[in-house]
Amino acid sequence: MKTFRFIALRLAQAIPVLLGVSLITFVLMAATPGDPIRLLVGDRASPETIAMIRDRYGLDDPILFQYFTYLKNLMVGDIGVSLRYRVPVSQLIAQHYPVTLFLVLYTIVLTLPPVIVLAVWSAKRQNGMADQIIRMMGVLGLAVPVFWLALILTRLFGVKLGWFPVSGFGDTMPGHLLHLFLPALSTMIWVVPILVRTLRSALLIEMNRDYALTGMSKGLGARQVFRTHVFPNSILPTLNLFAVIVAYLLGGSVIVETVYAVPGMGKLMIDSILARDYFVVQGATLVFALTTLLVMLAVDLLSALIDPRVTL
Amino acid sequence: MTPLLSVKDLTVRFGATVAVDDVSFDLERGAALGIVGESGSGKSVTCRAVMRLLPPSAQISGSASFEGRDLLQMPETELNRVRGKRIAMIFQNPSSHLDPLMRIGDQVAQTLHKHTDLKGRAIRDEVLRLLDVVRIPDSERWAQAFPHQLSGGMKQRAMIAGALACQPDLLLADEPTTALDATVQKSVLDLLAQLRREQNLTMIFVSHDLGAVARVCDDLLVMRWSRLVESGPVSRVIDAPRHDYTRKLLASHPDRLKPRAFAPVGQGAPLVEARGIQIRYGSRMLSDWIAGREGGFMAVKQVDFAVRQGETLGIVGESGSGKSTLARSLVGLVKPYRGAIFFDGQPADPAGPGRIAYLREMQLIYQHPSEALSPRMTVQAAIAEPLRRHRLCPRDAVQGRVAELMSQVDLDPDLITRFPGQLSGGQCQRVAIARALAFDPRVLIADEVTSALDVTLQAQVIDLLLRLQKERGLTMIFISHDLAVIRRLCSSVIVMREGRIVEAGPTAKVFDTPAEAYTRALIDAIPHLKGDVA
Amino acid sequence: MKLSPMFVTGVALVVLWCVIALVAPKLATHDPYAIDFAAILQPPGAEHWFGTDNVGRDTYSRVIFGARLALYIGLLGVIAPMLIGMTVGLVAGYFGGWIDVVAMRLVDITVPFPFFVLVLSIVAVLGPGIENYFIALALVGWVGYARLARAEALVLRRAEFVLAARTMGFSSGYILLRHVLPNSLSSIVVYLMTDVTLVILFGAALGFLGMGVSPPAAEWGVMIAEGQTYISSAWWISFFPGLAMVLIGVGFALIGDGLARMLRIER
Repeated sequence: MKTFRFIALRLAQAIPVLLGVSLITFVLMAATPGDPIRLLVGDRASPETIAMIRDRYGLDDPILFQYFTYLKNLMVGDIGVSLRYRVPVSQLIAQHYPVTLFLVLYTIVLTLPPVIVLAVWSAKRQNGMADQIIRMMGVLGLAVPVFWLALILTRLFGVKLGWFPVSGFGDTMPGHLLHLFLPALSTMIWVVPILVRTLRSALLIEMNRDYALTGMSKGLGARQVFRTHVFPNSILPTLNLFAVIVAYLLGGSVIVETVYAVPGMGKLMIDSILARDYFVVQGATLVFALTTLLVMLAVDLLSALIDPRVTL
Repeated sequence: MTPLLSVKDLTVRFGATVAVDDVSFDLERGAALGIVGESGSGKSVTCRAVMRLLPPSAQISGSASFEGRDLLQMPETELNRVRGKRIAMIFQNPSSHLDPLMRIGDQVAQTLHKHTDLKGRAIRDEVLRLLDVVRIPDSERWAQAFPHQLSGGMKQRAMIAGALACQPDLLLADEPTTALDATVQKSVLDLLAQLRREQNLTMIFVSHDLGAVARVCDDLLVMRWSRLVESGPVSRVIDAPRHDYTRKLLASHPDRLKPRAFAPVGQGAPLVEARGIQIRYGSRMLSDWIAGREGGFMAVKQVDFAVRQGETLGIVGESGSGKSTLARSLVGLVKPYRGAIFFDGQPADPAGPGRIAYLREMQLIYQHPSEALSPRMTVQAAIAEPLRRHRLCPRDAVQGRVAELMSQVDLDPDLITRFPGQLSGGQCQRVAIARALAFDPRVLIADEVTSALDVTLQAQVIDLLLRLQKERGLTMIFISHDLAVIRRLCSSVIVMREGRIVEAGPTAKVFDTPAEAYTRALIDAIPHLKGDVA
Repeated sequence: MKLSPMFVTGVALVVLWCVIALVAPKLATHDPYAIDFAAILQPPGAEHWFGTDNVGRDTYSRVIFGARLALYIGLLGVIAPMLIGMTVGLVAGYFGGWIDVVAMRLVDITVPFPFFVLVLSIVAVLGPGIENYFIALALVGWVGYARLARAEALVLRRAEFVLAARTMGFSSGYILLRHVLPNSLSSIVVYLMTDVTLVILFGAALGFLGMGVSPPAAEWGVMIAEGQTYISSAWWISFFPGLAMVLIGVGFALIGDGLARMLRIER
């Protein structure tokens, strides 16, 4: 019951943010130079057709009304029509979204084990070798361009060694895993250092907390103190970063999907920008934001489950 | 009979600094030993070194034999069978020493799981029994609670319960009452004294507070600058100290400070007056409005007081009593929700447009000396800032005025180019006082100025304030949780609790014949050097 | 304060790149734009140190000239976001109240958007080019600075030395400039270094995707894109500009990392 109330309240709090997000995507569209409808229907369309579509999207109304029309259309899942494919944007997104979701989840699954191992290792031996390596990884992870790394990996693993396919998504589950390995690896190199750094500093802070000392004074021993006190407490700050990381991964997917020709949301977005398919760009942007928002909600809920201090 | 614990030539080094230098002492079974010293004296380090709870950077030498076995040489696994089972420890800050994510009952049960064969139901019953022993009411319920749901005193009791779980032979208590309010502090001390009697507990009690130690212990070690300077039975050390430092420490104790004679204060109009002050934090929500509530949190509910020229008013209360909030409203840091402040008979608005003229007359000195100065400003810049900014003296006279102010607060002129990080707590406090004096104010408000300082420094700062008051005819408002300090400083006193004035009047009258039970409880809780001396 | 070797390495790298950018014409062996069909797709060698691309341009000279664009983008691109974000964050955090509410709601609604996606969408609307990239950065990039500055201001607002400044009757503007700003600057500078790296990176990513600097220019992202088709035969076209980016990014990242350690700032 308490959990249910918490979810309901958090959802209610998310409404203004949702409105804001929709406002941003709307402004993006409204600021587009030129008449998107003209682009949508082409030059040869009759004035009647144009008038009809203008009416459907309320483009002749004052700007505020246009926004409400946009909101109303959003509610029923109508986020416009693709100019290139002449299909509803929602349909395009339904095709491409699972691929990106798969890629993001895959990356996370690949990321977590090395993150935990490296963070624990370096926290236990502060200022040792592991620490130096992780520092360098952090610096490199920040500086290495993902698209370049992706190209280099393509050449190395795809062309030279022939271990992995370098483009596409595959047709079967093992195929997906094989096809998306290099894209996931490319993004990982970017994300692992950030997560390791956060988890490591959280571990270090928690290890030096007073309650760890209490645990030692009770004769629990370093291992048990680490397992029962230090680790659970350091999960929280890392968890909060997770939403940010998912946003990073989604942003990164734009680049890796383009390089590896993975038919996901990122590639859809880039192709649509290049083809000036504005409704698709707008829709994709919105979906990206909604995904992050959902993850943020999930993280909040999870933190509330772990941390008894969190109340609304 | 061999002593339970025998520490010999204990030395602890952190790199080049020696934290504990060649300390030896014996502890008989059933005895209670107090270790007293100021911050940095090495008393806590000594205590932790015995349990080998210091960070790896500490180099420990010497020996600490517990029933003939040297704790310092014992293998880790064997030591872990002693820790928690034979020797238990409680710490200063109960909030940070309990795991926030774990239920109280589970934390108490940890040692039982580790060191006994008890299982399930039996553990649960034992935990409830322990919570009863430390007098936590409704133990079933609180065992299920998380630390943040408990008050400070309850948390300390829970920690004691966890320490007592395996009926240890020796309890190490590291400043167990310092973070607590006076009345709570007293109840925890009483609990420790009672446990000692009932369970024949051997105890080491580390504290900066001689009074607290005197309440629980029979023997005393005095430490200074990582060395042992004196040891002996508590009563002997207090009555006939042998070392100069012990004498100084005793002389600085509020019990021994000379009560000052108060000049009779005229019956003239009050200089500062507060009428019907109410201060609210947070705002009124829609739900409050519907329910007809005031909303927010009332930190100060209806307070009136008046201070006459040259008088010293003390405001005492425990944490959350609203005393600091009240002080802050006098200098415009918080705006009263209702009520008015009068200065020299005129209505004053400390946060309004005329505030600069008002603040030149009324200055506040803050609690934490090192935080009250901007870390990026030198002593010179800090003291000169009000002089320059408000043009309190001609531009070319600033330099001289700063030097003059520094000498007034006994600051070494060489410190002028230092940053706060390079000064001691006492020096920072002097800089802050000099900066306030730059305004040449008529009223000085001191908000817990001594509570972050060691006893000997406390005494110095109080002396300084008294001297300045005499020289300049200052009116002072002195806010403190420490009744002993207030008693010796103030001519009249206000006792606050939960935002209200409980009792007010001339200090002597309030302290000698308190009318309210709460005031009496506060006075009873003052730790004295000796039980019988009031 | 002891300078860490990593910090010194970082400064050295950044200084080195600045020098390279300044004297690029002297260092270049060829005209970076000269097309030479007689020497297309040459592997690295004595004549062309980093090889040539598909129209025979000298990769080495193009990489050298690319430093100018990278530094221009990186150093100029962070100015507006930093100034806007710092001002908004400090003012919101210090004063609180409705200013804070408005600023934080603005921040809240931009947070769900992946940063790069939002920059992309804005550039898509405004059209390709560095100027539009700068506009997008100003619109979106201030958020990070604002959150950081606000967090600092929230702590400093309660610090006793700031309270003391208030009770000394100083004006809010003076306190913000003289007490709050200097004490929050160090963590902002650390973030700034990370941000320079990211701005260079994202600028190149835009170039790579065809939405940044337009193609004939000697811009690293554009060059990497030009080499993409030839990655299996002529790897050097993409490899060297990328390596240059890593080296410039590592420089700024090391400065940030070193500063954070020296100033003991948690990141």
